Amino acid sequence: MSAGGLRPLGFVLLMLGFGLRLDTEWQGLAWILLVAGGAVGGIGLWGLARGADRFSAFVPPSGKR
Amino acid sequence: MPPACRPGTAAAAAVVVAVAVALALRGVARTAVPATPGEPAAPLIGPRVRAWYRGVIAPLEDALVAWGIRADSLTYAQLAVSVLAGAAFWAGWIFLAGWLTILAGTLDILDGGVARRGGVAGPRGALVDSLVDRYAEFATFVGLGAFFHDSWVLLAVAVAAFGSIMVSYTRARAEGLGIELRLGSAQRPERYVILGFGAWLSDLVAHLTCGVSGRPTHAVLAVAVVLLAALSVWTAVERTRHAFRALAEREET
Repeated sequence: MSAGGLRPLGFVLLMLGFGLRLDTEWQGLAWILLVAGGAVGGIGLWGLARGADRFSAFVPPSGKR
Repeated sequence: MPPACRPGTAAAAAVVVAVAVALALRGVARTAVPATPGEPAAPLIGPRVRAWYRGVIAPLEDALVAWGIRADSLTYAQLAVSVLAGAAFWAGWIFLAGWLTILAGTLDILDGGVARRGGVAGPRGALVDSLVDRYAEFATFVGLGAFFHDSWVLLAVAVAAFGSIMVSYTRARAEGLGIELRLGSAQRPERYVILGFGAWLSDLVAHLTCGVSGRPTHAVLAVAVVLLAALSVWTAVERTRHAFRALAEREET
């Protein structure tokens, strides 16, 4: 999966984790999601900072609608 | 058991959301606005933001088509996620409910995109989509109503639910009479955004400020629901007026 795909995945996992951590008693699952989301999103952001798709974060691919 | 105050977690979530919003705004600024004269006026979510979001999820649409995922499956997944959002509202899991509402809205866009890309868009899919949309909205509003069951906000939830249904019903009835009706300030994407982001923001504010108030309160969500109710009713009225005008013009000619 590309860095561009890892960032949204990491964001989704983090939001799920934060949601469970804030309002539920499922703290174990919340921490697992937060750690996984942080790792995946971090790798995606590292790829963004490193270069290949440096200026393409959340930008529609060319030629798309 | 009353919900615990978690201001640290809320602050961390706010930072993550802020980074995502900053990246998104950069993407929006770099998105070319398509020239689509037939596109309906939408003051809350303009054509640039719509084009950006469609562009963001376009690779996902391609992947779903390549994996053989059917548009109908996405429509039913939207219903399931909306039921979960309603359940999350009911349980008081407001941050999660907001996120699930946004996810349901994304699935609502994806099903049509996948149907078009897969070449299977047709009247049956449009009918299923419209019907499932109403059930999905109802499920979310039931949960929201349960959350606000002992508050005046329940009335606003009822008005928002009725207004949302009237927005769709007015369009459907007008289209049955041959009148195209796509205008309005609270169309489905706007309703998802107001409710979803309102819930997100409300839970963050509730946890960040609960050190003062002693327990999380959801004033921001109440404001979002009132806004949703007002805009939905206004959109239904706008559409009705437009339909009357179109009918009058037709009778004159």
